[in-house]
Amino acid sequence: MADVYLFKLASQRTGYLSARQTLIAENVANANTPGYKAVDLKPFSAALQETAFSMAVTNPAHLTPAAQELDPPQVREDDAANATVSGNSVDIEGEMVKLGEVNRDFTEATNLKKIFHQMFMQALK
Amino acid sequence: MASNDSLNASLRIAGSGLETQSARLRIISENIANAQSTASVPGGDPYTRQTVSFEDTLDRASGAQLVRVKDIGRDSSPYRVEQDPGNPAADDKGFVKLPNVDVLVELADLREANRSYEANLQVAKQSSDLMNQTVGLLKDV
Repeated sequence: MADVYLFKLASQRTGYLSARQTLIAENVANANTPGYKAVDLKPFSAALQETAFSMAVTNPAHLTPAAQELDPPQVREDDAANATVSGNSVDIEGEMVKLGEVNRDFTEATNLKKIFHQMFMQALK
Repeated sequence: MASNDSLNASLRIAGSGLETQSARLRIISENIANAQSTASVPGGDPYTRQTVSFEDTLDRASGAQLVRVKDIGRDSSPYRVEQDPGNPAADDKGFVKLPNVDVLVELADLREANRSYEANLQVAKQSSDLMNQTVGLLKDV
């Protein structure tokens, strides 16, 4: 049972989505703050790709890296193409779209967790 | 739990946004309410339009970028002057100074504040929604 990463992956996914939700909240709250630049995370697949590889253990003396965790969210500054005169680059409509995406993906991830759990329970019964 | 922490943080951030936008709505309503307020003494200065400005601020407890009111300033643009000798606030030449409030500008500002308030509300609603979904995993286990 040790090699089932389904729950870990789903947890990483919700962790990523929560972090993204926080950034959306920051952007929306600062939608009228002069000089504020909108921030976002890179896509989940890109964030996951970077941590997907681990070093092989070919000798008992090799140290295994500690639990493979996602990098802390990298904040990327959006292109300030639509910055207003006050230097603010938040696009409220765009943030609302991202909000919908996060909602959808989060629901998906939690439902997946629920289904994985049901699968385990089925195997046990 | 990390994901609930950041959902809590986003609730706090949305809360700070709601707070500042409502402070802004208060200032706008003060301006509109006083759009005709002249001085109480002849020749005196009337009500001066107030302005509000925001800044982002780091909340050390959660590491989140909150927003707060930076300062409430006074608009330094000139007052409107009208010839109205019968007005109690008229000076000895019959000129009355009226507030430098343009109701149209205030209404445009009102709309923007309203829009930002709604957006923040939407974020707050969704954040608690997502938390409920996580807690909901404990249902019918």
